[in-house]
Amino acid sequence: MIRFEDVALRYGAGPEILRQVSFHLEPGSFHFLAGSSGAGKSSLLKLMYLAQRPTSGQARLFGRDVTTLTRGETALMRRRIGVVFQDFRLLDHLTALENVALPLKVSGQRENKVQQHVAELLAWVGLADQIHAYPPTLSGGQQQRIAIARAVVGRPSLLLADEPTGNVDDRIAVRLLYLFEELNKLGTTIVIATHNESLVSRFSHPVLSLSGGEVRMRTAPTAAGAGTGSAGRGSVGRGSAA
Amino acid sequence: MLFRRTDLPLDRDPSGRFLPWLVALMVYLAALALVCAMAMAKMVERWDTGLSGTITVQVPPSETGAPGAQEAAIDRIIELLLDTEAVHSAKVLEPDEIAALLEPWLGAGAAYGELPLPALISVGIDPAAAPDYQALAKRLADAAPGTVLDDHQSWLGQLLDLARAIELVAALIVILVGASAVAMVIFATRMGLAIHGRVIELLHLIGAQDAYVAREFEIHALRLALRGGIVGLLFAIATVVLVARLFERLDSVLLPALTLSPIEWAALAVLPLAIAVVAMLTARFTVLGNLGRMP
Repeated sequence: MIRFEDVALRYGAGPEILRQVSFHLEPGSFHFLAGSSGAGKSSLLKLMYLAQRPTSGQARLFGRDVTTLTRGETALMRRRIGVVFQDFRLLDHLTALENVALPLKVSGQRENKVQQHVAELLAWVGLADQIHAYPPTLSGGQQQRIAIARAVVGRPSLLLADEPTGNVDDRIAVRLLYLFEELNKLGTTIVIATHNESLVSRFSHPVLSLSGGEVRMRTAPTAAGAGTGSAGRGSVGRGSAA
Repeated sequence: MLFRRTDLPLDRDPSGRFLPWLVALMVYLAALALVCAMAMAKMVERWDTGLSGTITVQVPPSETGAPGAQEAAIDRIIELLLDTEAVHSAKVLEPDEIAALLEPWLGAGAAYGELPLPALISVGIDPAAAPDYQALAKRLADAAPGTVLDDHQSWLGQLLDLARAIELVAALIVILVGASAVAMVIFATRMGLAIHGRVIELLHLIGAQDAYVAREFEIHALRLALRGGIVGLLFAIATVVLVARLFERLDSVLLPALTLSPIEWAALAVLPLAIAVVAMLTARFTVLGNLGRMP
């Protein structure tokens, strides 16, 4: 699913944000991406959802070297990836329903086929009564759930979430993670970036730990919660600082 | 309903306010230029049709002032004309007809009887077998010195040159209007790309192709240009109607008629559509060009 070998990333002439990052995530796996603020979690996710290209090294997604993708191929590959952005990135002039339906519209699906599905998904994240609300009128937690619904509406093969529980209390955070586990059971590969170690420790999923721009894999902690996803199907290669 | 709204809030951009008015102004100018060209072409055609098949011969008054000298000269000229092949009629204009011709220049109260006016002979000829006018003019001058033959070609030629110049200017205005529309839409589209950079990036990240983003700008440009174009055309039509009424009041034979045929009205109606299509295509290629240069 995702294979990084000696991947490095720097922005312009700045310092290396990531260096010699190597790991391999199997299809259907569930991983946390942990690290302190500024460790490079968002940058690593950006490489995974093709917002950035590696400065050096090789990044392969769905069996393709991402540096060889054309613009058209990149767009098609992105349709297989759902992303929950840290700042949600909802469109303020669209309703919750329209925001969630956006990936389906972009991929050319017909309106009459998606209306009910989108409404059900909003109900699934607990926003059935807010489907016609505009993001600025909603709380941070509600916006976050819209962002999650938008990320999963296209049934992506890979779901990447950047601090998806950052704006909700622990109870809702755990509930959202259960939602991600449900998706994982349906075959979606999941990577969740978080700095909430207590949350990570409640689920038995392996952790990609970022520190100083390098990554190492931690084995699944003993789950305090009910996490039963496809943990452990990943590995860290020679280039990491493990 | 769900997909009705555009993903980019382009309607809130400054271009949404200024572009329709600029397009309206350009379509207004282009429409007036086209109407001028069409009216001029019609006037030339009218004069050409009216004058083909006729020539005018002027017989000057006798220099000596001898009574009956001009009449004798007229008789000689008439005889000569009727003997000429292709001439089928020759009619001397009455003094009141000459006065009517001169009235626009000299006024109604002029004392025509006291002026040494030439006699005018309207000559009907067969246009298919037109005579050699130079040779005929020479024979007429020999028969009565000072007689002038006017086949109207020099005057018509000047009118035709004027009409062609006006048509050229009209075409130039239409081309300039098109080029201005292209420049404005490029500017507005680039501004939109800069303003909505983050939304466009999001659309890309959720799998939008460049063509999808371009379509948003295309539709926006089409709507604005069409809206402005229709307003400009309506103002142009109002202006044409107003000027046509003023022309009618003047009742001058020299002014072009400002009545348009259905085909000419259709040509005017095409203007806002054409500029809207130009705006749409410009927006599309601007977006595709700009996005294509992105990594």
